[in-house]
Amino acid sequence: MAQNDQALLTRLKASGLDFVVIGGVCVVYHGVPLATFDLDVCCPFGEANVRKIESAVKDLHPVHRLTANKLPLEETRSSFGSLKNVYLQTDLGKLDCLGEVAGVGNFDEVKRQSVVSKFSYGEFRFLNLDALIAAKKAAGRERDREAVRWLECIKEKHDQQKELF
Amino acid sequence: MNGEYVMPPDAGPAWRAAVKYGFDMSLVEESLKLTPEQRLAEHQRVLDFLIEVQEAGQTHGTK
Repeated sequence: MAQNDQALLTRLKASGLDFVVIGGVCVVYHGVPLATFDLDVCCPFGEANVRKIESAVKDLHPVHRLTANKLPLEETRSSFGSLKNVYLQTDLGKLDCLGEVAGVGNFDEVKRQSVVSKFSYGEFRFLNLDALIAAKKAAGRERDREAVRWLECIKEKHDQQKELF
Repeated sequence: MNGEYVMPPDAGPAWRAAVKYGFDMSLVEESLKLTPEQRLAEHQRVLDFLIEVQEAGQTHGTK
C-alpha cells in the first residue's frame, strides 16, 4: 500500500484545513533517521473541519481504518460534528488527524508550539522540537522512547550550536 | 573502510548515551546535513523501497 506524504500534505493544504504535522513525519523533519508508515496531523475538529479533511481525500477511497468493517468516510457524515480524531486509509496512504496531542495539548497549543517550514510545494507547520519530545515522552511506546533518544541528541546539538553564536 | 564510529569531541551526554545504546550516529549526522525538505524526500525514497520489499515478501509468501 502506497504512502505519499507530500501528496497528502499538499491536498490537506489545498482543502484550507489549518493543521500541524506531528508524529513520525515530524520526527523525520527534525532529522531522526527512522521510517514511519503514516502521516499524523493535529487540526481543529468540528463538522466544517472534518468536511475539509474529507474534501482533501474524497477521491482516494478514504475509510476509517481502525473500524472493524473499514467504514467509508462518506458514510459517516452524520457523525462528523462529534469526531475528535480520524484515522484514515486512503489510496495515498494512512492519514491520522488528531484533535489534540498528549503531552502538548489541544490544537491551539500545538499550533503555538509549532514552526512554519517553507518547502518547494508549500508552507507547512511542524511541531517544534521541545513539544515533539514532550509528545513522544507522553506517548511512551517503545518506538516513541527510541525517537526521544534520537530527538534529545538533536536538541543537544542545536543547543551547542546556539551557544557558539 | 569498515571502522568504528568516531565520537565527535564535542559530543554531549545525550549523544554519548545514544552511541553507548547502540545507535548509528552517522545516520543522524548525515540527516542533519540535509534541509527538512530533503529529509522528507529521502524518507519517502526509503519508504517506497520498504513498501516494495514488504509487498514482494507478501507475494513470495503466498506462492
